[in-house]
Amino acid sequence: METIGFLMDGFAVALTPYNLMFALFGAFAGSLIGCLPGLGPANGVAILIPLAFALGLPPETAMILLTSVYVGAMYGGRISSILLNIPGDEPAMMTCLDGYPMAQQGRAADALAISAIASFAGGLIGTIGLIILAPVLARFALTFGPVEYFALFVLAFATLGGITGKNPMKTVIAAALGIMISTVGIDISTGTQRYTAGVLELYEGIDFILAIVGLFAISELLFFVEARMGKGRSKVKVGKLTLSFKEIVSTIPTQLRGGVLGFMAGVLPGAGASLGSFISYTLEKTVLGKKGRFGEGDIRGVVAPEAGNNGAASGALVPMLTLGVPGSGTTAVLLAMLISLNITPGPLMFTQNAEIVWGVIAALLIGNVLLLILNIPMISVFVRLLSVPPMYLLPIVTMVAFVGIYSISHSTFDLYFMIVFGVGGFILRKLEIPMVPIILGLLLGPEMEKNLGHALILSDGDWMTLWSSPLAIGLWLVAGLGLVLPTLVGPILRRRMRSAIKEGPVSD
Amino acid sequence: MTGMGDRILGLFLLVVAVAYGWVAQQWPEPFGGAEGVGPETFPTILAIVLVVGSLYLMIKPDADAKWPVGKSALELVISIIVLVVYALLLEPLGFIISTTLVIGVLSWRMGAPLKQAFVTGLISAVVVFGLFNYGLSLSLPDGLLGGF
Repeated sequence: METIGFLMDGFAVALTPYNLMFALFGAFAGSLIGCLPGLGPANGVAILIPLAFALGLPPETAMILLTSVYVGAMYGGRISSILLNIPGDEPAMMTCLDGYPMAQQGRAADALAISAIASFAGGLIGTIGLIILAPVLARFALTFGPVEYFALFVLAFATLGGITGKNPMKTVIAAALGIMISTVGIDISTGTQRYTAGVLELYEGIDFILAIVGLFAISELLFFVEARMGKGRSKVKVGKLTLSFKEIVSTIPTQLRGGVLGFMAGVLPGAGASLGSFISYTLEKTVLGKKGRFGEGDIRGVVAPEAGNNGAASGALVPMLTLGVPGSGTTAVLLAMLISLNITPGPLMFTQNAEIVWGVIAALLIGNVLLLILNIPMISVFVRLLSVPPMYLLPIVTMVAFVGIYSISHSTFDLYFMIVFGVGGFILRKLEIPMVPIILGLLLGPEMEKNLGHALILSDGDWMTLWSSPLAIGLWLVAGLGLVLPTLVGPILRRRMRSAIKEGPVSD
Repeated sequence: MTGMGDRILGLFLLVVAVAYGWVAQQWPEPFGGAEGVGPETFPTILAIVLVVGSLYLMIKPDADAKWPVGKSALELVISIIVLVVYALLLEPLGFIISTTLVIGVLSWRMGAPLKQAFVTGLISAVVVFGLFNYGLSLSLPDGLLGGF
């Protein structure tokens, strides 16, 4: 019951006209970013962080803005899946399978509408799950000591590559690189200058916002330049909405299943939204079997993955808000915002910054409603924007990234740093070194070192303390599994995902 | 030989890891002595992790990615130069002029017709400048246009 009271307070925060305006802007911008191929939720949130920061928005408003962008991008991803047969972001991959065939059969408008409804259902289920689970987990997390936190951070890195990750060693390398970058600057506990080489700008360390914007936004531009996809692709016409009420009702069981499965995939470390949409699509196919025409434009083939990935989007916020340990790229970027607002993420946030946590949760609910309203009547606006070719859009996005970084510090030194990160990110991405562990390393590095230090001081320098509690041992075990499982199960799962996509008429 | 990309990266990271770890050993003992954890403890662990990772990369590299060659590579280099020049010119030339030039060049290189590219650049520069300076009161540099 306590929860309801907090949620009401949350609504009081989120429903102020000022915050509502930012939620609406975020939802709109997010949908737009999500539907542009190549720009996913992580990029969208990354580009807006410096702006939110430079504008000096109050913490709850900044978080509401970014959460709305996050949810909006999850909605937007489906638009290009359905119309162009290119997923706007990775989780929307499975939506191509039935969404594009539906569009080819002249039912593009129906596919867009039903997927908006499915996204809404998934988002709603996920947010309800978040409301129920988060306070419980936060209370549990209060029992964590430095030892458990250190093990938890290791777990977060180990599972970050995800069960479908290709080469776990590359995740380890990426994480180590990220944490290394975070050690640059003056050591907080001893005052020793580390890796500063006497450069004044490095004394305070490397600002992770620069790194994030460089790694996401600038490297994305370079990928587009390399692929020379400037002109964009031809898309299917949208046509008239013929969706009947009966059809919507018939998909309700699919929506529920997809949302719940997606939420679980989102909460669990190492799963994430892409796996969420994959699992719910596969389950739907198994449950309905021959009754469905999956892969040929079955409406439930659009509903299942969309409910799944939006459920997962809310689910992924659970570990981020309660433990301060994000399980996905976008939630890692959201964490960056929290840290730069000087808010210590983790279980204490639920008591110390209740207005932010519950404001964000209420904003998720409001955002979902706004997005449903935006996405049905205003779908033609997004569709029209989708036809703006990347050759105009990406340079503008890059410019916005420059402006954001510049307006934080008014120093061009930061801009050069951002370009260095962009080029470095491009090279590493070409070598299939994932970006997210680098970002997470940048963010969690200082916390990790702090907890290791505390643990060792408490135990008088005895390293065995790291394995001293059952909970810590459990966390280490899961971390170990997170590194080993992908090498065993990963190839099988990846093959299934690929063959599922090949079965769909992607080639034409 | 396949996997050259990963092998080179592995070698590079090995050098980074060793240098990083070595530097960490050079720091003076902090005042009052270190209790269990000094400033070098954590970096040393990281260096070891990265050494292991880089050796693994060199021994078991993945198949090579397709690296851009010829025209794509040239376009990439041009784009990177344009970005550096943008950072260089932002303050002296001012936001509107430099942005128009940069977006114009980038769009043009990505395949837009020359005139449309620069018109897009000018419009977005003016809009963003107006929005930031008057709407959000975050000042962007005026540069050469500062006299108006």
